[in-house]
This record gives sequence, structure tokens and C-alpha cells, in this order.
Amino acid sequence: MNVLRMFAVQTRMNFLWYFRRDGEMMFWTLAMPVFFLVLFSFAFSQGPSGRSATFLVPGIIGAQVLSSGFWGVGVMLATFREKHLLRRVYLTPMPRWIFFASLVAYRVTLLAVQAIILVTVGSLLFHVRITGNPVAVLIVLLLGTATFVSLGTIIGALAKTTESANNIASILTVPLAFISDAYIPIDRFPHAVSSALRLLPSTQFIDMFRGVSVDGASLASYGVWFAVLVAWTIFGTVVSARTFRWV
Amino acid sequence: MSENQASAGPAIVVERLVKRYGDVEAVAGLSFSVPRGAIFGLLGRNGAGKTTTLECCIGLSKPTSGSVRILGLDPTSARDFAALRPRIGVQLQSTSLPEKAAVGEVLELYAAYYGITPRAAEMASRVGLEGKLDRQIVQMSGGEQQRLALALALQHDPEVVFLDEPTAGMDAFGRRILWAEVEALRAAGKTIILTTHYIEEAERLCDTLCVVQRGRIIAEDTPENLVTRYGGDATVCITADGFSPDDALRGLGTWAKAKDEWQLVTHGEPGLALAAVVTHANAISATVRSLDMHRPTLEDAFIAVTGETIGEGE
Repeated sequence: MNVLRMFAVQTRMNFLWYFRRDGEMMFWTLAMPVFFLVLFSFAFSQGPSGRSATFLVPGIIGAQVLSSGFWGVGVMLATFREKHLLRRVYLTPMPRWIFFASLVAYRVTLLAVQAIILVTVGSLLFHVRITGNPVAVLIVLLLGTATFVSLGTIIGALAKTTESANNIASILTVPLAFISDAYIPIDRFPHAVSSALRLLPSTQFIDMFRGVSVDGASLASYGVWFAVLVAWTIFGTVVSARTFRWV
Repeated sequence: MSENQASAGPAIVVERLVKRYGDVEAVAGLSFSVPRGAIFGLLGRNGAGKTTTLECCIGLSKPTSGSVRILGLDPTSARDFAALRPRIGVQLQSTSLPEKAAVGEVLELYAAYYGITPRAAEMASRVGLEGKLDRQIVQMSGGEQQRLALALALQHDPEVVFLDEPTAGMDAFGRRILWAEVEALRAAGKTIILTTHYIEEAERLCDTLCVVQRGRIIAEDTPENLVTRYGGDATVCITADGFSPDDALRGLGTWAKAKDEWQLVTHGEPGLALAAVVTHANAISATVRSLDMHRPTLEDAFIAVTGETIGEGE
């Protein structure tokens, strides 16, 4: 009861506070993926093509999930520690997981809004159609967010300063977006390379998300990758819990 | 809480606490005990080790060696720390809150953390922030933020309150509010430990004071006893034409003359000595040019035990 109220109030405050803070950036947060979609759709095909847009919409959302975990959570946690925000929260009786669960809730909601905007633009301009089961799509989105928030939290745990967290996040996010089947189909790489890239959790998540959302695949057909992502989430959570510093 | 728990041992016990950061020994073997209901102060310059000591008490810093018990609980043990957190209230030296958070929202969130009914309006008015529930952190002065931090420390009615330099950055208004809250906590039987480098604040608020220097406690007593023990003697100084002390005055203490000024150092009551000096000056018709009495203060005691003034620190 108390725990539910804590989670509800913390999540509401996350929205109020971070939304106010991100207010000016919000436009760009929402507009950037649309910009990528339009740009890449034209760049990768001779003209507006439904096929490349259908590939890109889930890919761009997937890349947003990565950056949400690494930047939105990882770097933010390092900033919070540097500004002594974390130590004040640490002294309250709030169970630790509530703090992180409400961060996931905030991030996943923002991602869902981005996804809706992107899908709408995609369907209006490029006739992209989401054929998958919406519940399955949401489950995969939630799992991916949990995976990359938990991995991002490791950045927040290990980086000593905001600056180093920033560096780690940019080294990871930008290249990963290009080698994880998000913007560019990795089939275009030599077979050995693409096979190796499929071992990345980011590739597995983005392929599963694409399969479930636009290719009409069932969640069950991705059972193994689903389990692997759950394992990554557990790994990220355990390592974060062991290494996270509130002070 | 029950009477049973309330009477079970001291609120805070710190034994041979040592905290090292690399080669620097911030706290160098410090021991003290705070009975329940007492207001206990750590007085010293910035960098003396007061904040580190407090941080070890509230689980923000892990002691290199030695032990800390708060309400019988060990803040370095995860289980004890969880049991302790709802029972303590903390105002840190620099409390930082999300800059876009509003006063009322922060109080509501912290009420949820402690599972209590929010008392945002009441708490805000107690710390002089009435009518400012919508004010965001980024729009507030440092002193206002400190007062909000005080409200966050007290809203859940904790048994032990930790205040780290609570009035640093506060104006006279903020200081009065903090002092009033400390008096209210005293009346409610709460235990308070505070650090300060303001002599006046230490003297006014604390039942027991520890003078801390280079990570060690070098004196511990009530403020009055510290003055009596270390403050030195009172002095009366007079410059008056043709003045010189008679035998009765010489019996009051030691007289010395520098240029035209006579100085009496007395361990008796300086007010009485002053009266006797003036009466004698009148009796011999000496015109008084200047007259001065100095009673030893806590600051004198501080200087005597530390060999330095408290200043604003390094």
C-alpha cells in the first residue's frame, strides 16, 4: 500500500520535474526520430519507399530505447550523484527498486509517445503498417527498456563524473545504433560480421521488436531472444545493484 | 514509540571513529555519546572532521575503523540501516533537490517516502515558506532551500535529528526559524546532533558541546563549563587621572599597568570588581577616561583549547 503510493507519487514527480526540465528539449526529443525516418527513407531508396520506412520505424524506436537507457538513465544518474541528489534520497526509507522502477516508467512512457508519433508519420507518409499484436509490441518495448535501463545504470554506477558517463554513453550509443540493425540492415555486412553482430543484445532487441511489430511475428517465435534479453536485464540489475553508489 | 525503547540506552554512541581518505585522516579516533533528548553540538572550523563524523553516523560514509550506533543500530549494516532510516531526520550541508521541483511537491514526495499524510502547507509555514508551495527550487535562495531541507528533515517526526551546519547560508530570519525549531524539538524530547562553526549558535542551542580539531575531540562539556574551565579570567580595565588601586582593590586579583591603563585580572565576579573600581575612583576623585569589563566567552574558551580563532575556516 505504502509502496504503491511511493511508486505512484515518485513516478508522477518524475513526469512533472523531468518534463519541466526537458521542456525545451522535448520538441527535439520527439522531432529527431521523425527527422531520421524521413531522411533515411529517402537516402536508402530511390524515392519514398514503404519497404525502407517499414524497416526504419522499429529500428529508430529501438535506437531510442538504447539512448534512453544509456543517456536518459545512465548519464542522468551520474549527474544526480554529482549534484548530491542521490544521497538525499538514499537517506529516506524508500525501497531502492522503487526509484529505478519509476525511472523505467517515465522512460517507457516517453518512448511510447515517440513510437506513436513515429508510427503515425510513417503510416501517413510511407504507408508503414503495424501488423503485430499491440500487447506483444508493448511487452517487447518494456523488456527492451528494462534491459537498457539496467545496463545504463551500470554506466551511472561506474562513471565517476557526469563527463565520463557522457563519454561512455556516446561511445556506446552512436556506433551501436549503426551496427545493431537499427538504421542499416546488417544483412549488407559480410555474413561473419552480421552473425557476430546478432550476438549483441541491441541487435536481438531491435530484430525482435521489428519482427513483432511490423513483420507480424509472434512473441513465441522469439522465445530464445526474449530469454536472452531477460538474462541481460538480470545481469544489468545484479551488476548495478552491486556497484551502484548513492553517495 | 514506546517508553521502553525511549529509555533504552543513549541515542548515539560513537567509539574510536576513524575515517581516512587516502593519506588524509579526516576523523582521527573520535568517541562520544549522546543521551536521548539531548542537544549535542560538534563545534570546530571547516575541515575539522565534523561533517565526516556526521556522515558516518547516518550511513553516508563508511568508517575506516571504530563503531557507530544510532538508537542501538549500526548504520553500516544494511538491515540496521533500513530499520534506522524512518527514525532519523537529516538536514545536509548542501541539500540538492531537482531544480524544477516545487516546494509542495517535494514535501508530498517525502511524505510518501515515509508513509505519512503530507503536511505540506503546515511544514512550509513552519519554516517560513508559507504561500510558496508552488515555488520551484531553481527560483529559491540558498537560505530558502536550507529551510525546505529542514522541513524535509522534520516532516516525519523523527526521533533523532542530524543537522549539518544548519544555518550556513541562512539570513537572520532563517536562523531564528531554525533555532525555534530546535527549541520545539527539545521540548518534544527529541535528540539532536548538530555541527556548526558559529559560536553563538553552539552556545545558544547545545546542552553539550564537543570542540573538534583535526579529527579529534579536544574538549567536551556544557557551554558554561567550557567557559569556566578554559575561558580564562575576567578583566576590568580603567584609565583615570591619578588612579591607583588601594589594598582592598588589590585583594580582588592581579593588577598591572600599561601606559595610563590599569588592568585587573580577577577570577571573581567581574561586575562586583567593576563596581568597586568605580567607587574607589570616585572616592579619590579620579576622572575616569575609559572603563571596560570583559567576561570570558565561549570564543575565549575555543581559542584557549584550539590555539586558533574559529574564523570562516580554510
